[in-house]
Amino acid sequence: MSDASGEFVFKLPDLGEGTVEAEIIQWYVNVGDSIVEDQAMVEVMTDKASVEVPAPVGGKVLATTGAPGDKVAVGSPLVVIRLAGDTAQAGAGSRPGAAATPNAAAAPTAAATPNAAAEAGVATSFNGGTRVKTSPANRRRAREAGIELHSLVGTGPRGRILQGDIAAASERLGAVTGSAGAPGTAGRAGTTLPAAATLPSGGASEPSSVTEIKVIGLRRVIAERMSEAKRNIPHFAYVEEVDVTELEALRQHLNGKRRAGGAVLTYLPIVIAALVRTLRLHPGCNCRYDASRGVLLRHTAVHVGVATQTPDGLKVPVLHDAQALTVWGIETRVRELAERARSNRATREELSGSTITVTSLGKLGGIASTPVINAPEVAIVGLNRAEERPVVRGGAIIVRRIMNLSSSFDHRFVDGYDAAAMIQTLKEFLERPATIFIPEDNRE
Amino acid sequence: MAQMTMVQALNSAMDVMLGRDPAVILMGEDIGYFGGVFRATEGLQRKYGEHRVLDTPIAEGAIVGTAIGMGVNGLRPVAEIQFADYIYPGFDQIASELARLRYRTAGDFFAPVTIRTPCGGGIRGGQTHSQSPEGIFTHVCGIKVVMPSNPFDAKGLLITAIEDDDPVIFFEPKRLYNGPFDGDPGKAAIPWSTHPKGEVPEGHYTVPFGKADIVRAGEALTIVTYGTMVFVAMRAAASLGVDAEIIDLRSLVPLDVDTVCASVKKTGRCVVAHEATRFSGFGAEILSIVQEECFWDLEAPIQRVAGWDTPYPHAFEWEYFPGPERVATAIRAVLERT
Amino acid sequence: MVTTSRLHVPRTPARPGEMPDFSYLQLSPAGAVARPEASAPARDIGALSLELVRVLDDDHVAKGPWHPHLDPEELQVGLRHMLLTRLYDERMQRTQRAGKVSFYIRSLGEEAVSVAQCMALRPGDMLFPSYRNQGVHIARGMPLVDLMCQLLSNTRDMCKGRQLPVMYHSVAGNIFSISGNLATQFPQAVGWAMAAAIKGQDHLAASWIGEGSSAEADFHHALLFASVYQAPVILNVVNNQWAISTFQGYAGGEQRSFAARGPGYGIAGIRVDGNDFLAVYAVTRWAAERARTGAGPTLIELVTYRVGAHSTSDDPTRYRAKDDHRHWPLGDPIERLKRHLIALGEWSDERHRLLTEELEAEIAASWKEAVAYGTLNEGPRLDSGLMFEDVFKEMPPHLERQRAAMRQAAASAATAARAAAASAAGASNPAKD
Repeated sequence: MSDASGEFVFKLPDLGEGTVEAEIIQWYVNVGDSIVEDQAMVEVMTDKASVEVPAPVGGKVLATTGAPGDKVAVGSPLVVIRLAGDTAQAGAGSRPGAAATPNAAAAPTAAATPNAAAEAGVATSFNGGTRVKTSPANRRRAREAGIELHSLVGTGPRGRILQGDIAAASERLGAVTGSAGAPGTAGRAGTTLPAAATLPSGGASEPSSVTEIKVIGLRRVIAERMSEAKRNIPHFAYVEEVDVTELEALRQHLNGKRRAGGAVLTYLPIVIAALVRTLRLHPGCNCRYDASRGVLLRHTAVHVGVATQTPDGLKVPVLHDAQALTVWGIETRVRELAERARSNRATREELSGSTITVTSLGKLGGIASTPVINAPEVAIVGLNRAEERPVVRGGAIIVRRIMNLSSSFDHRFVDGYDAAAMIQTLKEFLERPATIFIPEDNRE
Repeated sequence: MAQMTMVQALNSAMDVMLGRDPAVILMGEDIGYFGGVFRATEGLQRKYGEHRVLDTPIAEGAIVGTAIGMGVNGLRPVAEIQFADYIYPGFDQIASELARLRYRTAGDFFAPVTIRTPCGGGIRGGQTHSQSPEGIFTHVCGIKVVMPSNPFDAKGLLITAIEDDDPVIFFEPKRLYNGPFDGDPGKAAIPWSTHPKGEVPEGHYTVPFGKADIVRAGEALTIVTYGTMVFVAMRAAASLGVDAEIIDLRSLVPLDVDTVCASVKKTGRCVVAHEATRFSGFGAEILSIVQEECFWDLEAPIQRVAGWDTPYPHAFEWEYFPGPERVATAIRAVLERT
Repeated sequence: MVTTSRLHVPRTPARPGEMPDFSYLQLSPAGAVARPEASAPARDIGALSLELVRVLDDDHVAKGPWHPHLDPEELQVGLRHMLLTRLYDERMQRTQRAGKVSFYIRSLGEEAVSVAQCMALRPGDMLFPSYRNQGVHIARGMPLVDLMCQLLSNTRDMCKGRQLPVMYHSVAGNIFSISGNLATQFPQAVGWAMAAAIKGQDHLAASWIGEGSSAEADFHHALLFASVYQAPVILNVVNNQWAISTFQGYAGGEQRSFAARGPGYGIAGIRVDGNDFLAVYAVTRWAAERARTGAGPTLIELVTYRVGAHSTSDDPTRYRAKDDHRHWPLGDPIERLKRHLIALGEWSDERHRLLTEELEAEIAASWKEAVAYGTLNEGPRLDSGLMFEDVFKEMPPHLERQRAAMRQAAASAATAARAAAASAAGASNPAKD
């Protein structure tokens, strides 16, 4: 609202989905600049998304609040503008111009973050989230530029995303990566190392230096969530080795029979299928804890978070209703989710709602690890490296293929015995893979 | 070359074809001795005789039915229906017989009949002299439907129609018979004699079916139209100073989808304009195709300008007729920032 | 307030359970009607449209001025054509009942109409028949196999699968395509005749409709244009008394004969016994001469009886007295010609029996050949892509696309059907997807 002297105090608006504060990423305008209505003034980041805030009126910038990295509460003053005499809208076809060249440390515009962040104040239903309003041409532009439409706040009527909104987001992406709009590479924008910064190139004669990297944006969110998980959840680890010789044989056999162009099975889909069967017998490990109400929500459906390393950082897309999928369906969907996570196209629903998480680094998996639970779940199962090892069977040393499972549990809700029992059940399924696919006996 | 009105161009087409192909005959009400109520067949009976330019009874069903029989017997009849408003008694013979004869006989029989008929309003003709029923015929499989907007196209398309072995319904926007009309009744009428498209070769030439004409190239938006609305659209675009690409379809079936879609993909914004009533009009088909083929290039919803969904009223001619103001409104809407 | 309707509703003479009653028919004795010159002005011969031209009397003796004096050989040919038509009809009716053909229409009792009229015309005359004139195909020697393949919509179908059975046509035989719409052929025939006149030829056109169809506007259109332009055309109204379940009174026959509409338009109208081969031939010959000599068109009403059902989809016992045709006063066309020839010493029951056998064998052989080209359920089938051809002379791009989409959908359906059959056949294998 404006006061009698013709000054307009612009407060940080509610950016949607119950945001209470946002972090300033970069300013596009400076004090003293003349601006027009709808011109982008500042980029802020909520828990999930980066948003350009447009000027509500035209005029001259008198004051701004906050520097990059500062947090601003919704409803607090952000910009003071002296109103111009003419507040006419920009003509047809013109776009709100960026007042400054985007800072090289710009945070990603993509929406992909660990699903814990996605859940803050967001309804996690399958059809969750409001529909984005924009023209078909804009949808195509966003897709080609690798921009998540849900991450933008539209400056058009009733929140419609305009071409200018996408162009501005695309420009920033392009400036940071040096290649605007290429799908799949858009994720590059999320690196914590600014492109402009250089690392020492090595060599003993190089003078040593210290580079200051601001922990902002996505990395800051990851850091906060990890701390919170470790702070609140009493983790305990349970490591067990699993003889995956038969599992490996089955995998090879199935891959040998596949059609040309058909999906190649890794361990993960079979492990997930086994996990689904396991959790039916151990539902206590398929829960989410609602701290605000002090209630443990035990789910019958199994929504498996799949920890995925992406150029931005760690993301956990969710395979919803794993119990309804075949092994092939799981394989296809996991592959698709990983692709979408890496290319910043994963939707809000795809990044939230997991009831248990699986993490695997494949060959990099080590022999044991202590994964951090993906709050508010109560368990996480980690797959370590699978390799040939000598084992003793029937008094003789033979070579079998062994893979360790390193799992963490929330000791508030899962006792040692329950954790061990669950992992043992999982082990049994994996060592006798045929049992994964034999239907349950309902008479039990 | 000569400057011709659309009526003269049509007359010339029929004259050329009567002279060129002895199988061509004309038939219709008042077309023979009198030369037609719009003078389209003036002088032709005198020149080619009563056995090639026939006056008929007032029986549109019989005109079409006998034309079919003549076509089967090797003639090439060009039948006039005096006003498109009167075509309905002939609809059964057109839709059930003429359109399907080739199909049901696997090509053994066909009737190369052309049916010419004046259509459209802007002449204070009320509901029985102003209709544009082309949308009813575009929906019948097996007939071609064309509507020229200027003398050059009229003659070339009519010759193509007569030479075509498939049946053709040839709609003539009567408001354009004597000059282009841009929707402003207050302005003095402009004759075709001063218009470039009034320049018409005197001999034989054809304008192909299935090829739209880009009457004005542009970058900002695409206006797809035909008939009188071509000039209305040009005026509306000029009055707004917008760089509109204006496409005169002139051939509805077969439809030049490629030209339309290339244009919309270029501009991303589309207005469809026709005189015929809106609901279920031919514009709906164009819109559908544009949506299917150009969806990812659309910057804004496709706008449609058409006659109101009422019978054509006499006293409210200029409120009914989709004039340049209505086209301008659509242009403004489609150019909205999106 | 009780009101009684004053609307007149035409009376149907005999409904099921009632005694058949044909007393409404205006009959004339055989040989009683005068035969004017073919060139007589229409206004002078109006009486012909109310009387009934007959040559064969009830004893099968030919008499009167309309006697055509045909050679016995020609009559035998006519008998053969009529008998073949009837036997073909019977056999095709049975195939429909056996499910090999989807639909059939017989011309039982009306064979003389098509055969005698066709034989009275020249090969170059264009015929515009209805769906009950299969006799013209037989009389013009069209191969039975061709007709049967059309019924079967098989790989040799003249209509390439597009038409209902019995909708034949023949370019070589100058027989126009049959439409499912009633009476549309009438003005088309007139147009054809007008074109023949314009071209200065002496070909004429002949067309047939049922009396029920004469109610359609196209009947009026045809008579009007035929009259205005004096087109060389013969317009036949086959009054077989019934239009499905509707008696001829509803087409106007209660008040006036159908032939009498002719003089109303200023053209000759003649009413003839449609079951009398000689009379039908004679009257058609007269009308042909009239047309060819430029004396104008003729409207012929052929009075006959539809002995069978309207089609294989109809059951006449539901609306008329059973076996009423036995009471038809004008007899059966085949029986009467046969008796006449026998009376002339030019035929015998034995020869008739032999002819019947010969024709039945011919029909059976043709059927065997025809089904080899495919039936509804077995054997070779037409390519469904044909449905997109001949809509226009050249196939337009949008139909090419639609044909591709149709093939795609058919392929998917076939794959799905095979998969469903396979999984129903064997136990499901979890390793397979």
